[in-house]
Amino acid sequence: MTNKIQRNVFLLGNPNSGKTSLFNAVTGERRRVGNWPGVTVQKLEGTAKTETANLTICDLPGTYSLTPATPEEEVVLKTIDEAVTGCIVNVVDIANFERNLFLTTQLIELGIRPVVSLNCFDSFTRAGGSIDLQKFSTFTGTTPFPTVARTGEGTQNLVEFIGKPELTCIDDSTSCLSLPQVWLDAAEEALNLKNLKWISATPAQRYGALVDLIKLQPEQVVPELIEIRQNLAKKLSEGRDNPVKTTNLACELASDRYRRIESLIASCAIVPGKNIPAWQEKLDRVLTHRFLGLPVFAMMMAWVFWTTFSVGEIPMGWMESLVEWLSDFVQVNMQEGLIRELLVGGIINGVGGVIIFIPNILILFFWIALLEDSGYMSRAAFIMDRMMNSIGLHGRAFIPMIMGLGCNVPAVLATRIIDNRFQRLLTMLLIPLVTCAARLPVLVLLCGTFFPENPSTWMFTLFFVNLLVLIFLGQTTSMLFRTTENSPFLLEMPPYRLPTPSSVFHMLYEKAAHFIEKAGTVILAGAIIIWVLSVFPREVPLSFDYESELTRLRSNEATVETTEKIAMLTRQREIEQMEGRYMARLGKFIHPVMEPLGFSWRETVSLIPGFLAKESVVSTLSVLYLPYSDNLGDAMRKTGMTPLTAFVFMMFTLLYIPCIATLGVIWRESGSMRFTVLSLLVYFAIAYIVSYVTLKVGAILQTSPNLAWFEGLVIITVALAAGWYLLRTFIVTISGSRCKSCSSCSSCPSRGKSDCSGG
Amino acid sequence: MVRTTVNLSELPEGSTATIRDIDALSPTSQRLLDMGFVPGTPIRAVKRAPMGDPTTFEIRGYQVGLRRSESALIDVEIKPDDK
Repeated sequence: MTNKIQRNVFLLGNPNSGKTSLFNAVTGERRRVGNWPGVTVQKLEGTAKTETANLTICDLPGTYSLTPATPEEEVVLKTIDEAVTGCIVNVVDIANFERNLFLTTQLIELGIRPVVSLNCFDSFTRAGGSIDLQKFSTFTGTTPFPTVARTGEGTQNLVEFIGKPELTCIDDSTSCLSLPQVWLDAAEEALNLKNLKWISATPAQRYGALVDLIKLQPEQVVPELIEIRQNLAKKLSEGRDNPVKTTNLACELASDRYRRIESLIASCAIVPGKNIPAWQEKLDRVLTHRFLGLPVFAMMMAWVFWTTFSVGEIPMGWMESLVEWLSDFVQVNMQEGLIRELLVGGIINGVGGVIIFIPNILILFFWIALLEDSGYMSRAAFIMDRMMNSIGLHGRAFIPMIMGLGCNVPAVLATRIIDNRFQRLLTMLLIPLVTCAARLPVLVLLCGTFFPENPSTWMFTLFFVNLLVLIFLGQTTSMLFRTTENSPFLLEMPPYRLPTPSSVFHMLYEKAAHFIEKAGTVILAGAIIIWVLSVFPREVPLSFDYESELTRLRSNEATVETTEKIAMLTRQREIEQMEGRYMARLGKFIHPVMEPLGFSWRETVSLIPGFLAKESVVSTLSVLYLPYSDNLGDAMRKTGMTPLTAFVFMMFTLLYIPCIATLGVIWRESGSMRFTVLSLLVYFAIAYIVSYVTLKVGAILQTSPNLAWFEGLVIITVALAAGWYLLRTFIVTISGSRCKSCSSCSSCPSRGKSDCSGG
Repeated sequence: MVRTTVNLSELPEGSTATIRDIDALSPTSQRLLDMGFVPGTPIRAVKRAPMGDPTTFEIRGYQVGLRRSESALIDVEIKPDDK
């Protein structure tokens, strides 16, 4: 077994063509997940071995065409030159032959001869289709392999073939899918302008020349190309009634490609007339029914939610007791000291904070895998799209958002079902504004502490404000970026399929491993940092020698008076120590920033551990307020906190930051530190602004006693709505186009094309 | 034979038409063309979503959902006998 060749294999194909199933079938468990250099797009790599070769297999992002519409698809184009030095496997869903061959055609035009995996061959033959592989191979110059990636059928032959040493992907001979001479001539001329020749240019350069020729927007066309384009249009117009305009070149090229595809299919295959079986149409009719569709979806969501968060509580309980047992064990069996404290307070606590999410994640992704693989996910997105679109989101964002009510962490992970990167990031940005179940007890505690008379009213108000903020942020962000985002909404409805255990298993394994490895480390590090802040410096200079005084008192007779004094002194020492720690110092340092909101330094300090878990806000506050009263609410009132500042404080606590676990997964899932920091700033700014506005509005309301709280709510709503309207007008003004809902004027249904002046 | 041209976004549920023209100026159009929305292709409006948008269309043997903002880029021709 010497002389084995090394080869890089790239899987290329349409979304839903079974690329990833093929990847799973070929590589098994030998894989790693990374990032494409320069972009935050996930890169999936695995290995396979044959008699003759060691293969490194790379799953490229799914794309319908080489012309990119999203950053994921740009990766494909950027990799193409590297890919031809190895081997390209073009995964073609033969049950959807014409559209899948479009990408194949583009490859062949550039002189690439991919190995074609004719996937989903079983459903193709079952529907009555047949193909003459010999003819297909001769006509296209490629080697086709019928495969069923879901079951692994046929993949062995494919792997054996791509392991052959003599295999090459580059071949410039003409095939029936090659470019017609007219186009080749024009592309050659375009390449000559850059001192290149078609014959020696790389596939990416050839592709660049073609793209330059067919640019849709006239203002994007390079001036030197205008003449070439006009000549091309003239040549194409020969023998036709309507002359071809240069703006129609893109349309001409696409039509020409589809004509070639149609004649290829006609010459070598019998495609079943109806691709979609009747039972699927019937199922679709029910699942996307005008009246039934939504209730069926709601029921499924309720089931998924209930199993994830209620049934998931059982294993979560086991994990909690495991963590508890472990820390007890360490407490008992280790000597008292800094290391023990670090183990218990920092590490065991932190690890517990990571593994506690695993049951939720596994259950949720089990259902997501089923929904996705069965094809129902696209239908769900289809029926929810209108509603989600109203806050600027994709229909697929509904599931992550609703899961956010249970816990933000699996919800952020669930955003992977959204293929479009911009949409995925936007959903990630909004999820932390969904009040998760862990925040509920904090709210109950806060409302109960500050407003013992009617906590539920205040809780409802908080929820309402939170919802408004969510809608507001979604609207503005999607509007701000809509001008830069031009990827179209295309929601493919794949046929219904029975999910396979192996693909579900792969999904679960990958998610759990990925979470522990990537996000787990961030969460653990955060837990340790907060722990360090709260216990260091070890020795705090005290204003008074408590120790000697305490020893003196303890040696005295144990009267009621001395016991009380001891208790008081211990408490005072505890407070002084807490004030001396880095956390309190940091809190006091940033206090001037928080002062306009009416917070004292104690509230500011308590916000820092809230970063780890919001319930720590309450526990820190109660320690800091101990000298005033045992009852936190009383103590806060005594030190001058009004119901209004209490309400503002609650609002701030709710909004200012997602917990560290959520931040960790956002960082890892977005793959971008910048995005994470920016969204953190956004939450903080929003919390600050909303709190400030509430404080001011509330102050005005308090001076006019006739106004009740709900009228204040109305005022806030109106203010937010007005703010949104103003912002929108502002954006429309600076971006120069009047109507935001359509991508260009001619597509605008409400306006005549004549009175359009903008974009 | 009378032929009527309508916008794809106004094609009634269940009816079939032929693509006549696609807005060449929208950046979205390239992707639609690549997916087979080229002039002369038959297309059927399969189902409108419960809330009125998007709509699924059947074209070249597969189904795809388009929002109004995308389907409005396409003009189709309805033949009377198709209805």
